[in-house]
Amino acid sequence: MNAHQIVEAVLFAADAPLTADEIARADESLDEDQVEQAIRFLKAEYDDALRSFQIAEIAEGYQILTRPEFAPYLERFDNVARPSRLSGPALETLAIIAYRQPLGRIEIEYIRGVGAAGVLKTLQDRELIDVVGRAEGLGRPVLYGTTQRFLEHFGLKSLEDLPRPEELPVVLRERTPPGPDEPPAEQPTAEAPSASEEEGGERPTE
Amino acid sequence: MDLTLAEETVPREGFLLVEIDRFQGPLDLLLHLIRTQDIDVFDIPLSKITDQFLQAIRGIQARDLDGAGEFLEMAATLIRIKAQMLLPRTAEDEDEDPRAELVRRLLEYEQIREISQRLSAAEADRARRFAKGFNPPRPRRPVAETPLETTWEEVFDAALRVETPEPHRQHRVTPRTISMEDKVVLILDSLRETTRVEFSRLLLGFEERMHGVMTFLAGLELTRRRLLYLRQTKPFAELWIYRRESPGEQAGLEGGEGEETVPAEPSEPVNRAEEGAPEA
Repeated sequence: MNAHQIVEAVLFAADAPLTADEIARADESLDEDQVEQAIRFLKAEYDDALRSFQIAEIAEGYQILTRPEFAPYLERFDNVARPSRLSGPALETLAIIAYRQPLGRIEIEYIRGVGAAGVLKTLQDRELIDVVGRAEGLGRPVLYGTTQRFLEHFGLKSLEDLPRPEELPVVLRERTPPGPDEPPAEQPTAEAPSASEEEGGERPTE
Repeated sequence: MDLTLAEETVPREGFLLVEIDRFQGPLDLLLHLIRTQDIDVFDIPLSKITDQFLQAIRGIQARDLDGAGEFLEMAATLIRIKAQMLLPRTAEDEDEDPRAELVRRLLEYEQIREISQRLSAAEADRARRFAKGFNPPRPRRPVAETPLETTWEEVFDAALRVETPEPHRQHRVTPRTISMEDKVVLILDSLRETTRVEFSRLLLGFEERMHGVMTFLAGLELTRRRLLYLRQTKPFAELWIYRRESPGEQAGLEGGEGEETVPAEPSEPVNRAEEGAPEA
């Protein structure tokens, strides 16, 4: 049994993304580097063989997913998993949380200009966000952050996959001090760092 | 500062026929007004925009008080900024444009909107790639909050499958029109040609339960008068009604040759049944 066969078996049997660390638990002989090497090998093998599936990098882990061009065939089956699409308000709220987390409901409402209680509950029910802490100050309001399910839902490898503010057509400068009608806001902690490079699909030498 | 703008605020009719439901909120509407008129966001003509904003939200219905409140709050903010700009500013806050915070919010919101569009595209891409098996169901929400996942075609099909209840199944109090005498005649008539008959055969063609009740009562009454007897092999099995021959004859005479006794009798039992019916 070689390493890439073991890795393939684990990925095949999993129903959610697995990190290299998690995959390495399959055997004492495996470590993270070997797992990543095996995944590169498998990726190249699937590409060469024109397989209908590939290994996607999602939520800091790996998952076997079908290639997008096969969607029309799979969509004919009712019992194939098809997560429902999010509404406009839900997407806007998630965007705010993804860039500003951790932050509270009041600040989200100020940024969007509309109430957020219902949307936040929906997002929490769907496990796309969660309470990650409490702010200092009056009432110690809860602070929200995105979850691993958030990355899985959008097929993101990590939060660094999100576009950086300066890549967007509208450039947002540094926040000015809050106006008289703005509630005290937490300092944004999640500056989007540089987007990581996608792992290449080169076949390893072995 | 922008006093002259007040004259040119009368917008083209139709342009401001804004469908308020289309907007996610007041910032969305404000951005729409600014971007569709190619207004420089760093130099917003407050007077013009405020008038347009107020006109656009005039259509908000009172039923949506929450939504209306958000738009009205923005309207108040716009009016306050407009007033601040009309006031002469002192030297120390000259560099602070009253519109600065509004501009910052608008730009921030526009960026959020852009990001949410990217997220939507990522969501669509991910939805075209399938994992093995099925997703575990999400936590169940209360029925009232669960969106309807049924299509109208399914509702229509289901409606077509519903059987309309027959009118006679409805409970109605009606005078009793089925008499026991009729059932006595029926039993004796059907026993004229044969020695026995199934109870269920006597009910053929009658749908109301009362026919069964009256037929059974008639059977009991005739049994009491020793004109017939009832036999059932086990509970809920078919109930057989046997003609009772004159005493002594009944044994072994089930071949059906009893016509000499039965035809004479129907008139008499009927008369007696009239007395017996109320007791039963």
